[in-house]
Amino acid sequence: MSASQTSTRPGRAKKSASRAVQRKIMDRLATGMSWAAMLIVVFVLGSIIWTLLKNGLPGLTASLFTKSMGAPGQDGGLANAIMGSILQTGLAILLGAPAGLLTGIYLAEYGSESALARAVRFVSDMLLSAPSILIGLFVYMVLVAPLGHFSGYAGSVALAILAMPIMVRTTEDMLRLVPLSMREAGIALGAPKWRVILFICVRAARGGIMTGVLLAIARVAGETAPLLFTSLGNSEWSLNMGRPMASLPVAIYQYAGSAYQDWMQQAWTGALLVTLGVLIINIVVRVGIHGGRT
Amino acid sequence: MNGDTMSSTMQNDASNLTADAVGETAHPLALQVRNLDFFYGKSRALHNISLDFPERSVTGMIGPSGCGKSTLLRVLNRMYDLYPGQKATGEVLFDGQNILAAGVDLNVLRSRIGMVFQKPTPFPMSIYDNIAFGIRLHERVSRSEMDGRVEDALRRVALWPEVKDRLQASATAMSGGQQQRLCIARTIATRPEVILLDEPTSALDPVSTARIEELLDELKTEFTIAIVTHNMQQAARCADQVAFFYLGELVEVDSTARMFTTPRESRTQDYITGRFG
Repeated sequence: MSASQTSTRPGRAKKSASRAVQRKIMDRLATGMSWAAMLIVVFVLGSIIWTLLKNGLPGLTASLFTKSMGAPGQDGGLANAIMGSILQTGLAILLGAPAGLLTGIYLAEYGSESALARAVRFVSDMLLSAPSILIGLFVYMVLVAPLGHFSGYAGSVALAILAMPIMVRTTEDMLRLVPLSMREAGIALGAPKWRVILFICVRAARGGIMTGVLLAIARVAGETAPLLFTSLGNSEWSLNMGRPMASLPVAIYQYAGSAYQDWMQQAWTGALLVTLGVLIINIVVRVGIHGGRT
Repeated sequence: MNGDTMSSTMQNDASNLTADAVGETAHPLALQVRNLDFFYGKSRALHNISLDFPERSVTGMIGPSGCGKSTLLRVLNRMYDLYPGQKATGEVLFDGQNILAAGVDLNVLRSRIGMVFQKPTPFPMSIYDNIAFGIRLHERVSRSEMDGRVEDALRRVALWPEVKDRLQASATAMSGGQQQRLCIARTIATRPEVILLDEPTSALDPVSTARIEELLDELKTEFTIAIVTHNMQQAARCADQVAFFYLGELVEVDSTARMFTTPRESRTQDYITGRFG
């Protein structure tokens, strides 16, 4: 500091000029590396979507949505698998969202740094990174084996367990972003804590909380492993969640590993449908919620 | 110099002065702070404060940052209760009751002693609901009565002409000055007796500041007002009595005119003339 202050004018100019060049080089380098990294990611994503479109689009026919799965060569569809996925994912969110959101609210607003809250947070984060096949096995042990049969309900429970920690984490994070001044303003009006949380904090964070729910849907809609041991799969049309139930990911798993041309075609198309579904949910999150707010 | 002796002498002076100032204004007292000490954990932020807030007048609280004036304000509506580790001892008498005592209904207390913050804090809802929120907390009112109460509150802060056509629009889209006036409207809509303002204009432009200062002049005909400010001119313009805080102590309190012309304490004079703080 003092050295540069006492140095002569021309010396300082030279120094700052060389520093400017150095900065420019560093800037270019960092920008270049960011671009390279971005291109790699976009390339991978683009190649997945391209492959899915190329292989999946030819099988996208009306009968895919109207007919249930059939034997090879019998020109079946995926209607029962699509319906099964919607039912099981829907029930999973109905089961998981209240518990997930309430736990998130507890962690952010009531538990905070208490021992119980720390423990819950730790367990929830562990669940978030637990292999999904473990969840499937767990539900098999508690719901399938004792009852003696696979069922759509068991599949929903497995998916709910997977979805819950995602919603816990996003709900807590979003509530923590609500400024303290907003809470104090509510308290200062004489509002009890629960009212401040429900009508002010949750409202302020609702965009983020909804995003968490939608991301949880997107995550579990594509899960295969937890369903293999729980809802098993079913080639018949069935709305009975007490019986084994088909789902898109399991159908893809089954068909893709087969030796039949038409099944393989349907596996590609099913994969395209799952991807499009997830893509649509993500677009809804981006445009519908974040775009709608400001 | 012995700090303890000095502070105790000063306290005596201060309470005498309070009595003088009150005698002059002849208002009954809305709030009486008696021998208040305040602690953030182990550190003591307020030392033996005694201060009276006359009814229907504006008490300005000035002093350098960290001198305890905001802390005192947050004692008056028990805001500090939100934070474990913060503790007040002494007495604050409001309507014959010590509000620091256990068993005080804080929600009722806070509906009677409202607060406006430094940064505008509109709730994430419509302009209408921002005001209705506070009213609904404490009263059951019919739809038409609510409409009237909302309009009345917005008129009082001179916001009605600006927002009457967009009551259902989001409050967060308003300008900073409008938001702050909305927050004041929200506070007076619950019909409190005392309004606490914590540097309410420090985040606002000069025009919005002027409007809020005008507003205070009208509001004091009906409410008791305590305002913390860093702006000496603001204190001189708005306040009827001014209290000067320094390092957690109440150095001096007097009518605004005397405080800014003939302060008794040299430290008050130094601060007012800008020699420190």
